[in-house]
Amino acid sequence: MLSALRVVDLTDHRGLLCGQILGDLGADVIHVEPPGGSPARRLGPFHGDVVHPDRSLFWWAFTRNQRSVTLDVAHPPGREALARLLETADFLVDSAPPGTLADAGLDPATVAATHPRLVHVSITAFGQTGPKAGWAGADIVLLAAGGPLILTGDADRPPVRLPVPQAWLHAGADAAVGAMIAHHARMRSGHGQHVDVSAQQSVALATQSYILAAAFDAPEVQRAAGGLTMGAVSVRLLFPAKDGHVAITFLFGSAIGPFSRRLMEWIHEEGGCDAATRDKDWLRYSQLLLSDEEPLAEFERVKAVIAAFTAARPKAELLAAALARGLLIAPVSTLGEVLASPQLAAREYWQPLDHPELGTTVRYPGAFARFEASPLRWRRRPPRVGEHTDEVLGGELGLDVATLRARGAV
Amino acid sequence: MTGGALSDVKVLDLMWVMAGPAATRMLADHGATVVRIESTRRIDTARTLAPFFDAVPGPERSGCFQNLNVGKRMLTLDPTTPAGRGVFLDLVRWADVVTESFAPGTMARWGLDWPVLRGVKPDLVMVSSCLMGQTGPLAGFAGYGNLAAAISGFSNLGGWPDRPPAGPFSAYTDYVSPRFLAVAILAALEHRRRTGEGQLVDLSQAEASLHFLGPALLDRQVNGRTMTRRGNRDPELTPHGVYPAAGRDRWIAIAVDGDAAFAALCAVLERPALAADARFATRDARHAHTDALDEAVAAATAAHDMHDLAGRLQAAGVAAHAVQNSAELLADPQLRHREHFVAVPHPERETVTLENARFRLSRTPAAVRGPAPTWGADTDWVLRTLLGYDDARITELVAAGALE
Repeated sequence: MLSALRVVDLTDHRGLLCGQILGDLGADVIHVEPPGGSPARRLGPFHGDVVHPDRSLFWWAFTRNQRSVTLDVAHPPGREALARLLETADFLVDSAPPGTLADAGLDPATVAATHPRLVHVSITAFGQTGPKAGWAGADIVLLAAGGPLILTGDADRPPVRLPVPQAWLHAGADAAVGAMIAHHARMRSGHGQHVDVSAQQSVALATQSYILAAAFDAPEVQRAAGGLTMGAVSVRLLFPAKDGHVAITFLFGSAIGPFSRRLMEWIHEEGGCDAATRDKDWLRYSQLLLSDEEPLAEFERVKAVIAAFTAARPKAELLAAALARGLLIAPVSTLGEVLASPQLAAREYWQPLDHPELGTTVRYPGAFARFEASPLRWRRRPPRVGEHTDEVLGGELGLDVATLRARGAV
Repeated sequence: MTGGALSDVKVLDLMWVMAGPAATRMLADHGATVVRIESTRRIDTARTLAPFFDAVPGPERSGCFQNLNVGKRMLTLDPTTPAGRGVFLDLVRWADVVTESFAPGTMARWGLDWPVLRGVKPDLVMVSSCLMGQTGPLAGFAGYGNLAAAISGFSNLGGWPDRPPAGPFSAYTDYVSPRFLAVAILAALEHRRRTGEGQLVDLSQAEASLHFLGPALLDRQVNGRTMTRRGNRDPELTPHGVYPAAGRDRWIAIAVDGDAAFAALCAVLERPALAADARFATRDARHAHTDALDEAVAAATAAHDMHDLAGRLQAAGVAAHAVQNSAELLADPQLRHREHFVAVPHPERETVTLENARFRLSRTPAAVRGPAPTWGADTDWVLRTLLGYDDARITELVAAGALE
């Protein structure tokens, strides 16, 4: 869909996802790395645990469908080569801290002046301006700053993040949306523009709008493992299973209440609760709890009834029942189970890419969406450091790569 | 270009709850005309989700609903009634994009699936979003983002190794997938601009979200290693975690990258003994003694104000931030500077504070273009202005019960 468009990607581990999304859509993404390779290539895990810039699985996860060029943009010859490359580009994506690209002439104002048609996307921790614009970001720091972290974890321990860093991915995905919106505007007006992405603001989406609690004069949510606590009421969304855990949307109200009623009907059928427990008003249950018509201890007992019921059954049986009975239950899958998922297999989700340099084929996560008329294609495995320097700078731009190399620019 | 980057884009939006509305909210912020359809016979689940004004539930009081739908136009319509179907098909002819997030098969049951809509509008873009995708043995598995987060591997990873999973917060894939959904809509429109061709797009929330677990999925695939819960440990950075600060449930997140940052941390915390301790002298040594190091750092942070300490650590070059709750986010000087929160008119409350657009475009800035829609607020506008219906036609529709 974007095959006529070129992306120059200057990002490191803080912004890779944006270029990958554009590349999946067909754009020609040229990753410009410093000599020696992107800092993102130093992040593990590594293929075969061999620490090598071409074996970083972090790099692999976010750079398929891209080409790699090495350029030292700190020095004039490299900068001139980059300027030539930018003349052929439609998008420039960077993840440098605010102000740090000014020396290279790649700050937003200079880029706008020199390349007025370019869509320039900058991904930073806190945005380009403001009192914290110069603050350092890291995954856990951004999750703290943007709101999701306080909501997550066990009540009696510190807040906890996911072990796969998420914050820069939220920012990178937002950056791709911004890039597409700015491209749409360019097609109408002829003008490029700058897209300023703040990871702090991007991760705030993961608060499920509880970021508004104070503004709405509503109480703060307190974290609870696999659930949340509001006021005196603790909602539980994860339950034990015989072979692990399951997620259940055990909530109430006109929309979700009927599902909870069906769950309790099943538990009653199987002898897991009495009729009075089954027949509670699950549509109005929240109001009953809030008005003390239903004692909190009784709600705790109901959750324990459900937990005892699910703990005696394997995940697969609970999922099968969910499908057959219209219940809101899902297995809490391990990564092994995700990779073995019959659903993903049936949809041919995993996409093989050959790595001839390692004599192996790797199955990558597949298309983020199925486009009937213009399907996404996995065209290239993640590039090795500078793999396409000659092809792009020499072959396509007609630059004298040998001289650049001699001058230490590539 | 007045009215925003997407002021020429018309979206007929049947998506509901969280992921879908979050995606079309981004389009509305940038000027797209988004007409949402909601039937009073089956209200949007988001209207039942907190936070509520003054903590009192009610369909027009949900912060979740308001935050995800501000700037959209709302038509109450039951497209399953014969009269409602006619209105719906007129809106399909008006729209560039139709979006829906019902359980797979729902649109077909209503006789309003892709073949029918394409017949009405040949170059239509239709985007169907659901948990697992429109095909496959679990296509019929409908539900919310907490279920997709579980079945996609997220929920098992959050938490402590000695405890059951704590998961990421609530319906995590509902916060990941909206960006992919918005990109999918814009990419399909770009394809249509270039080729004249519309198409159907099938977005599985689970499949899109798995890209956020990429490195761990590849590690399992390539090295056979299965990532599990590990608290706040980081393979590269140490000390790394959430440490106590002064006050009840007050915490500071700190991520130390390298020897210089560790020295700066010790200096700010005034713990020269920590800096001199051989167990913590190098990155590898710190990793080998992480438990002792975490304990020492926690002891040193516990008496500090979290905001003050974060500011001093940042000034010394250490990545750190207070772990903020909603009150602190509302007061955060950076978010204020970025105008992250915006006062929006509300028919019953003068204004409400909602989130603004998350990223900034320099030439075509986003704007909230109206209040969050109350039920039926725009029914008249949609029918008269967009579809050109007259009084008689609207009276007929009301009598037929189509506008409920």
